[in-house]
Amino acid sequence: MITKLLEVFFLILTALMTTYLIRHFIFTLTVLKNAQKRKKAVTVENTTYQPTVSTLIPARNEEQVIGRILQRMTELTYPKDKMQIIVIDDASTDDTGKIVEEYAKNYSYIKVIHRTSKEWGKVKASALNAGLKYAKSEIVLCFDADYYSQADIIEKLVAEFVDPKVGAVQGRVTVLNEPQNIVTRLVALERVGGYRIDQQARDSLGLIPQLGGTAFAIRRKLLESLGGWDESILAEDTDLTFRVYLAGYKVRYVNDAECYEEAVENWRAYWKQRCRWAKGHMQCAFKHSLKVLKSNNLLLKKKIDGLLLLNVYFMPILIWISWIISVLLFFSKPPQWLNALLTTIPLSFYSFVGNFAPFFEVGMGAYLDGRTRACWLIPLLIFMFLYNIVICTKAFTDLLTSKIFGKHTITWDKTVHSGSGNSYIMK
Amino acid sequence: MEEDGWRIKHLIFGFFTGAIASYMLLSSPYIGNESAPMLMIFNFLFVSLIFPLNGTLKTKLSMLLIGNVTGLVWNNLFSLFAYTVAYYFGEVFNTLYMILSPIANLVWIVSFWSISLTALANSRNTRAGVKA
Repeated sequence: MITKLLEVFFLILTALMTTYLIRHFIFTLTVLKNAQKRKKAVTVENTTYQPTVSTLIPARNEEQVIGRILQRMTELTYPKDKMQIIVIDDASTDDTGKIVEEYAKNYSYIKVIHRTSKEWGKVKASALNAGLKYAKSEIVLCFDADYYSQADIIEKLVAEFVDPKVGAVQGRVTVLNEPQNIVTRLVALERVGGYRIDQQARDSLGLIPQLGGTAFAIRRKLLESLGGWDESILAEDTDLTFRVYLAGYKVRYVNDAECYEEAVENWRAYWKQRCRWAKGHMQCAFKHSLKVLKSNNLLLKKKIDGLLLLNVYFMPILIWISWIISVLLFFSKPPQWLNALLTTIPLSFYSFVGNFAPFFEVGMGAYLDGRTRACWLIPLLIFMFLYNIVICTKAFTDLLTSKIFGKHTITWDKTVHSGSGNSYIMK
Repeated sequence: MEEDGWRIKHLIFGFFTGAIASYMLLSSPYIGNESAPMLMIFNFLFVSLIFPLNGTLKTKLSMLLIGNVTGLVWNNLFSLFAYTVAYYFGEVFNTLYMILSPIANLVWIVSFWSISLTALANSRNTRAGVKA
């Protein structure tokens, strides 16, 4: 009886893993096939649409990097009379506030909001909401303090808003400090798969491209009508993505609008960041899964993609469970199909790393970017996956504990930026 | 077909060759129960994701052949190793083998696929460099 149950459970898990694999296989082939096509109709060159833009930059103890992004903001090619830059100094205890004040003195379009330790909301969403109160433009743009954008990124992002159905636009995130060490190199690979293939394919197939929390633009009125960012969710970006879709708008992804991030530099920082992402994503899964299913604004294909996207952080946990079940089945009375289906487990090992892009997505992304030397590191992604199993399990346990016992274990573990990316910017 | 286009002819030819290779592997008496599905997955992934890329058909077919031989050798060596160690350590090793074999099995596929992708892209870059 128990063996039968295990068999059924194993079959269900295998079917789930296979669904994810097929989905990503379709994504990869779609991008590969479209890579040679002519560019789409809406481009920077053929539109004169230039709405006013408010850029929000939340910053807490970012003295090593805040000067870099503000300097870049002054170098953007977008008309300065249509720009407003709002830096939210989120109760910093270092010199972040002073650096921003210097810039605000010299550039009239830069504004700084200082939050005291009492006002500090401990989550990024709280800082963004504080900044949103001062935003007056049609479009709101968000950057993290450790980012460095292309000079014409605003033009590329806002061009998509010509379509009134577009609620938000996401740009591409690339790792700035990639050559630093093995962690940054592997994170860079994850990013390649996640953005160059995954996001691009979702956009091409009319599915659900995801907002990444930075390097994205959204209509201010839409954002305000949604009530701003949800401060109880750690993945405020994923939450916003689904609220935009449920409100009847869509998100576009622009691969050409690149922004460079300072990736985490060691395994400890990776753990903190991914644990936060996992918890936030799981919170979103609990919050939105049912709403997505019931929504009248979403087509069936979007519902399926949305559900798979929302629940992706549960997969590493389900894979280790299926791994254990397969071992138990092997020693009880292995069914004939076990050997064949066992192959989905190792395939899944290489399919749920970091941004949950399988190895072939990562490889194809690197190939299309012309960064083929990076492909040599793909086999090492297995370590990221094994690490992610522990991270996701810990995140789930924390979330469950807080739900059952009502303990508040959901805290924002801020990523510390050392400014190491500065040396990779050409002066 | 253009130089940088989607190589649909290569893809069709690749699937045809991959199907023959998989049939030969499945009907071979030298291949174990665990190895056959892995090799079939390798053939499918390799053909569908490498054959549409730029590069000569000859290079791609050679890589496919080398990949299958590598897979066979890997799996045979791995099975021999497993049988030998299981003889001495018994159930303990069998448990360990069941837990670790999924990881070990796919390492060669991912490694070989990545190397092939790099080699293919490098040959494309070299040709582009010569043309320039």
